[in-house]
Amino acid sequence: MPACSYACHSANHRASRRAFLGAAGAAAVLGPAGFASPAAARELAKTQKRVLVIFLAGGVSQLETWDPKPGTDTGGPFAAIPTAVPGTRIGELLPHTAKQMKRIALVRGLNSVSPDHGIGEKIMLTGRKPEAGVEYPHIGAVSAKLLGADGQAMPGHVHVFPAGAGGRSQDATFLGPKFASVPVVGGKPPADLFRPAGLTDEADRQRDDLRQKLSDKFAKSRRSAATEAYTESFAQAERVFRKADVFDISKEDPKTVARYGTHDFGRHLLLGRRLLESGVTYVKVSHSNYDTHHENFDFHIEQLGEFDRPFAALLDDLADRGMLDSTLVVVMSEMGRTPKINDRYGRDHWSAAWSVALAGCGIKGGAVVGKTNAGGTAVTDREVGSGHLFHTYLRALGLNPTKNFYPNERPIPIADPKADAITEILL
Amino acid sequence: MPARCRAVASVVVVLALSAGGFAAEPLHARIDALIAAGHPNYAKEAAPVAGDAEFVRRIYLDLAGTIPSAAEARAFLDDTSPGKRATLIDALLAAPGYARRMAQVFDVVLMERRPDAKVPRAAWDDYLRTTFAKNTPYDVFVRELLSADGTDPKTRPAAKFFLDRNLEPNLVTRDLGRVFLGRNLTCAQCHDHPHVGDYKQADYYGLLAFVNRSFLFPNATAATAVIAEKADGDVTFVSVFDKTKAVGATGPRMPGAKPLDEPKFDKGKEYTTAPAKDVKPVPAYSRRARLAAAVTSPDNPAFARTAANRLWAQLLGRGLVNPVENDHPGNPPSHPELLDLLTKEFAASQYDVKWLVREIVLSRTYQRASEVPAALADVPADRYLVANLKPLSPEQFAYAAAEATGETGLARTALAAKATDAALDAKLAPVVAAFRGVFAGRPGEPEDGLTTTLDQTLFLKNGGVVRALTVAKAGNLADRLAKLPDDAAADALFLAVLTRPATADEKADVAAAVKGAATRPAAFGELVWALMASGEFRFNH
Amino acid sequence: MLPTIDPTAARVEREFKHASPLVGCRFDLHGRFLFASAQDNTIQRFDLLTGAKTALVGHNSWVRGLAFVGTPANGTGEAAAYAGRVTALHAAAGFAAVTLPGPKPQPFTLVSADYHGNLIWWQGDAADPKPLRTVKAHDGWVRAVAVSPDGRTVASCGNDRLVKLWAAADGKPVRTLEGHAAHVYNVAFHPAGGRLASADLKGVVKDWDVKTGACGRDLDAKVLTKYDPTFMADIGGARAMGFSGDGAKLACAGIVNVSNAFAGVGNPAVVLFDWAAGTSKVLKPKDAFQGTAWGVGFHPAGFVVAAGGGSGGRVWFWTGDDAASAHAVTVPANARDLTLHPDGTRLAVAGANGSALVYTLTPAAPAKK
Repeated sequence: MPACSYACHSANHRASRRAFLGAAGAAAVLGPAGFASPAAARELAKTQKRVLVIFLAGGVSQLETWDPKPGTDTGGPFAAIPTAVPGTRIGELLPHTAKQMKRIALVRGLNSVSPDHGIGEKIMLTGRKPEAGVEYPHIGAVSAKLLGADGQAMPGHVHVFPAGAGGRSQDATFLGPKFASVPVVGGKPPADLFRPAGLTDEADRQRDDLRQKLSDKFAKSRRSAATEAYTESFAQAERVFRKADVFDISKEDPKTVARYGTHDFGRHLLLGRRLLESGVTYVKVSHSNYDTHHENFDFHIEQLGEFDRPFAALLDDLADRGMLDSTLVVVMSEMGRTPKINDRYGRDHWSAAWSVALAGCGIKGGAVVGKTNAGGTAVTDREVGSGHLFHTYLRALGLNPTKNFYPNERPIPIADPKADAITEILL
Repeated sequence: MPARCRAVASVVVVLALSAGGFAAEPLHARIDALIAAGHPNYAKEAAPVAGDAEFVRRIYLDLAGTIPSAAEARAFLDDTSPGKRATLIDALLAAPGYARRMAQVFDVVLMERRPDAKVPRAAWDDYLRTTFAKNTPYDVFVRELLSADGTDPKTRPAAKFFLDRNLEPNLVTRDLGRVFLGRNLTCAQCHDHPHVGDYKQADYYGLLAFVNRSFLFPNATAATAVIAEKADGDVTFVSVFDKTKAVGATGPRMPGAKPLDEPKFDKGKEYTTAPAKDVKPVPAYSRRARLAAAVTSPDNPAFARTAANRLWAQLLGRGLVNPVENDHPGNPPSHPELLDLLTKEFAASQYDVKWLVREIVLSRTYQRASEVPAALADVPADRYLVANLKPLSPEQFAYAAAEATGETGLARTALAAKATDAALDAKLAPVVAAFRGVFAGRPGEPEDGLTTTLDQTLFLKNGGVVRALTVAKAGNLADRLAKLPDDAAADALFLAVLTRPATADEKADVAAAVKGAATRPAAFGELVWALMASGEFRFNH
Repeated sequence: MLPTIDPTAARVEREFKHASPLVGCRFDLHGRFLFASAQDNTIQRFDLLTGAKTALVGHNSWVRGLAFVGTPANGTGEAAAYAGRVTALHAAAGFAAVTLPGPKPQPFTLVSADYHGNLIWWQGDAADPKPLRTVKAHDGWVRAVAVSPDGRTVASCGNDRLVKLWAAADGKPVRTLEGHAAHVYNVAFHPAGGRLASADLKGVVKDWDVKTGACGRDLDAKVLTKYDPTFMADIGGARAMGFSGDGAKLACAGIVNVSNAFAGVGNPAVVLFDWAAGTSKVLKPKDAFQGTAWGVGFHPAGFVVAAGGGSGGRVWFWTGDDAASAHAVTVPANARDLTLHPDGTRLAVAGANGSALVYTLTPAAPAKK
């Protein structure tokens, strides 16, 4: 691939310098710390859309969550509880989520084909089976590209995950590194975000002015997109730095922190909300881990216990801030878990019949689409794949999934042309 | 002389040269003639040849993988001898830095930062450096890479191309095509390439047939695995586009060439060592053993062409066929005659890498300035009117940063008499590793073009490694500058970091910056940073 | 008089099959029946004399805790007399003859605990037991249940971190014992009466005064717990717990050396406390075995016995002071619980394959000359 093919000759590139100069103006709207107040967030909400994916890493059990089968030989010991939606029951480990059910749509007929962590993750995040010859971008990079604004302060694609549970991901592929996920490890700000000790604001500003001056002179005389991209990257780092407060959970009302919980996932989900409010287009928050081959039930008590309350708190917060209608929320894993309980009280990998939950922008809350049989071993009604989900995300956001990207002038459909949106859960 | 006449005159000269077969004209002159012929008004529109400052920085980066020290730059700039550029080129080609630079480039070309599982990094580095220091002919080098089976410890590093891909046949096939034949055949695994008529599924499987019988012995995970081969296993393929599901078959063949003649064996005689539990089989006839010869054969024109184009791209910042790995009739070279010439001459030179590199860098085309002339409204990407910018590789960036800030000098001083290149490299290894960690491509991914991710920018802006280089400490650049008067300091600063004198404006900026500063060394530390973080440093221009 | 047992002679006396994997098992206090709870939410009662299988239906979730209220056995002549009558019948009418109805079992109450938080009282000896009483005891799983030596109090514990005491006679709540900071996995009454032990997920064992509800001390079984940083979850707990007959020792069984909680990579172990001193030592299988110890008991002959599973099922025997097992018996499937027969000659394990296996421990008869 030739260097910079995504930037050259594109409206994106030509607009960037103007956008850079304009960014300072945009920052003023957002207040002195560059951070959105609830009122300003409401304003933003009217025009911008954003995405939150909660990734339950390892493969959450659909039988312990969205599609319980109590009293069957695959159901396990947990009960199904009623929810705010009459006729819809979910697992007893999600009592707070049950109260939010009017906002949540369930897809219970998912067949994602591959019961493998790596391949399953790729399938679920790219909306396609892996193909030779093309690496498809994740929904995060696609969202950042299609929904992001030029010169926006914060990076468009952020991944929050616990330390030791992830790494740098090649998730933007041909869309380019601008849309690749920025890792936020353990909820901490990106490494080296803050000025090193001994460097005053004044000294930093001064040295940066000289850097900028030299770079501008150089760029002007060489007239290359690459030099501009390089200079712009410093401007973006500075913009992120000016919003460094977004990473500081202690800036929240302690009551809010308590509602999400002080455990890792609670804090990370709260950070995710703050990132979305500050203008990040797509945030993925990973919760580790659900790969319960051994003692599936005990571990789901613990992990879903960590998920349930903050998830409900998040939906409430988004609604309170008027952001729920413009934020697509998806709860997914790379796969589900076997209906068959193994001899160590575990459930193993499973892709043939499992569930995903959605809420927010463009989603019909309370809708349930797809059915599995009594034991959960097969989809009996409205089977869908990750491609259908991918179309659904884009339609929910008001985007057209039948269009193409054109890396290197080669048309690549944004979503799998063999699939289409699950209209039953779209508004 | 009116522009049109000049253009006509140069065309006439070119015609005369090629018609007369005047072989005495050095290659670099013929390069320039063909480049000039490739654009109307070339002489008028093209930027002038780069000034000494730009040239010395560029040639050091390209041939030594680092910027010149201030002293080396000063010496070159002050030198008044007319042939100094050629002298410097020859000196750099003879120096160990050349082998190190080429080893770094070809490590990434051949291995794409894959983990070192079966051939340790040190052994591989050593092998590559030795290859380029000895100036092993390129075809010999490639034959070593494709014929080593890993059993002989002396030649095992050469087998890394196969071994550290776990000899996964499809991966090896794709990379054989990409690296050595300039063909990205990935799509052709499943069907004829939908857009490139020239890349056929039969081509893909013809390559695969060389390696499909080979496997790692005793298994793919053993760190000491070697390459073994069975005597059977034929390649068939079906196109996913073909509704009739017709099955194709092929023996080993280079794209566009005939399949190899293969011997037949009586049943029971296919092996010299028959396969058995824990026994490495040795077939009487090895398909893989024919790969090296087939790839580098004069009957496989793609080999020499891709090699020449790759070296051109490395030095000029853009291949004559661009991208290098997409050579096909639908993507013709920008200067077909030039590419043919380079190909022919490279082969005729017995694939002498150093010779070709030398000829390329002696050309005016290579030495063109990168600053766009004011009068030039539009800079076409492929006409070489202006030198292309090349982002520094992670290694170049690291070594240049260490040199610019005085870290290399400090290391040399610390080692004193024991300052061999190996010792110096060892001392700088942590800095190189840090830059690699942030700027290198992901394993198995191409590493071309500039990336500017947030973590890279923050590494430069606030990271500890860069700060430790720039901040004044005893004997480094910032420390030395602080002891000089402003004017001299500004010049020394720009020479050390950007390999050029400071302009009057820049001197004023430096003076202003240190004027209000609490401490001079701290102020100069930040100035060193500012220059090192600027676009002018980030690119090889 | 104590029968001699020989663990090395342990052999299957009887296999009771069920269609669903088993979760827990207990011989009743008279030794007439083997109760085994299963993943189909039932408790299966197997008559050791007649082989009859009766389903106790009433729970809506898995049962792991099984405990009994009644007067302990008086005389064992019954079993031998019955066996004699069966032999005579078969001799007269052939093996296809109808099974002789067994002698009427002595009365007792079964209290079972399930993962929906309920305790159910049953007439354990009835021909077709039905729930007598259901008590919503805990929020979430009731993990274990025990009955005091005087038969008057039932103790339960669960995921709500509580230990609760109930009147055995009518199920009325007596007291709630608070203090555990994690799921409580097990409870056991001290044989002398008056004290109750409970153990939680984090390896804390509490020693309670039954009358006052005061916690006298905490004992440390933390070797049985681990936070797995790779999967970010806690594994642990005393999966089985019991006092020796003389009350001198307390055993807690579980898993140690966990390197992968989500794959169950670790080793079974029994933490053996000197109850008076509060000190402990760890008993482990002599041979490497990957899995969890799910059941534990004290045999009057001086053995500590444990059963468990992971990569297959095992029963282990420890004697005297040796921390390494003296003998191990391979059982066909993961053993999810262990129970020792009151007559000291047998033990049973609950199999993940749905089979409850009764092993006899009496020395094998010498080969006829």
